[in-house]
Amino acid sequence: MMRLAAAVLVAGLAGFPLAVMSGAPVSWLVVLALVVAGAGVLLLSVTLVTIAGALALIAYAVALLIVRPPVDPVAAAGFGATLVVVVALVHFARRADGAVLGPAVVATQVRQWLAIVAAGVVVAAVLTAGATVLGAALAGATLPLVVVAATLGALLTVAGVIALTTREDPPSRS
Amino acid sequence: MSWRPTALNVSFLTLAGWALFLGVLTGRADLVVIAVPLIVALVAGRRTAAPPIVQFHHTVSADRVLQDERLTVRVTIRAEQAAPLLELLEPLPPGVALERGGHHAFFSLRAGEEVAWEFVLRCSGRQRLRLGGPHVRLWGVLGLAAAEARVRAPRTVAVYPNLAPLTHPPRPIRTQTYVGNHVSPAQGEGIEPGDIRPFAPGDHVRHVNWRATLRHGALHVTQHHHERNADVVLLLDTLSEVGPPGASVVDTAVRGAADLAATYLARKDRVGLIEYGGQLRWVKPGSGRAQLQRLLDTLLDASVVFTYVTRDLDLVPPRILPPQALVLALSPLLDPRFVRAASDLTARGFDLVVIAVSPAPAARAALRPGPVADLAARLWDLERRAELDAHRRRGLSIVTWDGVAPLAVALASLRRPRLRRALAR
Repeated sequence: MMRLAAAVLVAGLAGFPLAVMSGAPVSWLVVLALVVAGAGVLLLSVTLVTIAGALALIAYAVALLIVRPPVDPVAAAGFGATLVVVVALVHFARRADGAVLGPAVVATQVRQWLAIVAAGVVVAAVLTAGATVLGAALAGATLPLVVVAATLGALLTVAGVIALTTREDPPSRS
Repeated sequence: MSWRPTALNVSFLTLAGWALFLGVLTGRADLVVIAVPLIVALVAGRRTAAPPIVQFHHTVSADRVLQDERLTVRVTIRAEQAAPLLELLEPLPPGVALERGGHHAFFSLRAGEEVAWEFVLRCSGRQRLRLGGPHVRLWGVLGLAAAEARVRAPRTVAVYPNLAPLTHPPRPIRTQTYVGNHVSPAQGEGIEPGDIRPFAPGDHVRHVNWRATLRHGALHVTQHHHERNADVVLLLDTLSEVGPPGASVVDTAVRGAADLAATYLARKDRVGLIEYGGQLRWVKPGSGRAQLQRLLDTLLDASVVFTYVTRDLDLVPPRILPPQALVLALSPLLDPRFVRAASDLTARGFDLVVIAVSPAPAARAALRPGPVADLAARLWDLERRAELDAHRRRGLSIVTWDGVAPLAVALASLRRPRLRRALAR
């Protein structure tokens, strides 16, 4: 059942780049991503699903680069949210494969995933709105300056997340 | 118990990194937006609060079960604070199969909620089953953090072999002084008729043999044999082992020893045990249900212990190995030390019967089936027959048992000397 849900989400993930551009080379990348993701879902391998997600991201970027559509933050937030749920679902399915599930486990997990995804979408909306305002203010700035600022911001974000996730908790009473 | 980041963080970081990298590379804001839910998930998955306190109560349905009986393990879990995802895993020792339920479970508990987790195990071989208690893992949001602990609730369950009492166990030649079920060579009060002799003053009239009296023209009486009990000592060979755990020759020998012990104890005999192996252990002969329990407990721990030290049965005190006892040796006869010990006992006049447990079925169970294995088994069988014949020629009374057929079938072929002939020796 969880494999089926993950397969549906993977199919949805593949739909994002194809919605922008359905021809080659995007379709080839999407097919590759689907094959890897399919294997990941079958084997319940988080690594394979992560690779497939990265391939889907590349396909989406290529499609955006070729077609150059207007920015669609809703689709982008949906893509990100789907990625989060797919990876979390495959991870949970792997852990719970063959195990006895208590009565409220799946419902609790789905509620938790949806809450996190909703928070992510809200943050994305807030950031998009902020970026729109900031974009208007930076309209006169040169492109290299904006690119450098964006790169710096991205690097800081990644560094912050790494620092957060690798920090050791103080020992606590069990 | 404290939170630790899981490998899932790497997946989220990889995807967020790719999205940001591609966003910067292509100059598309869409790709940066894709990274936002991933980063939010990473931040949300970072737990700062201490893991919730969860109480466990671990019980098993019995402390003693027979082989192939069911054992119910019950774990009651009570969460003091909410535990969104709780993973439990009870590692199963070898020789135990899951009959119902699962030994791996996930639960989601609200604050103050209590759930019971139950599964049924089937114990397939004699052993002291040790259940240490479940491993516990608390999962954080999205599985990005986990806290692990082990519930220390050690439980030991004794799994005894199934007892199949024998209808015709080997008859002891010599008996003891207490009343039992064996016909004693000694004449006296009893129900088993013995010799006929002329009437003597003091004889009971009911013992008069009228047929002999009429034939001889003088009063004759029938003598009777006493019914007495016997001392039986089970000699278990744990010097060598063949076969996979749970189906080895030692396991088969233990099963046979348990059957013999139950049979003789049911006949009011005194039964003792000597484990002849790397460690020399014994149980003093005794009778009754408590003795059966003592013997079964000792048999449960019987195992091969490697040692260079060769112990002799001379070390065993006479109260453990009485000279009048029937000694039943259960052995694959693979180790020359045991063959030597058995020969010594026979030479010392002990009434010894060797039940030679065939190692071939145990060895076949550990081998991949095929024509080479078949041929090897047949050759080995021929060699063993020749060896057993040689032992028989040296005076050992040997009966072979393959461990697959009931022991009663193997013992049916045993020919015991008649009482008079045995006593004449």
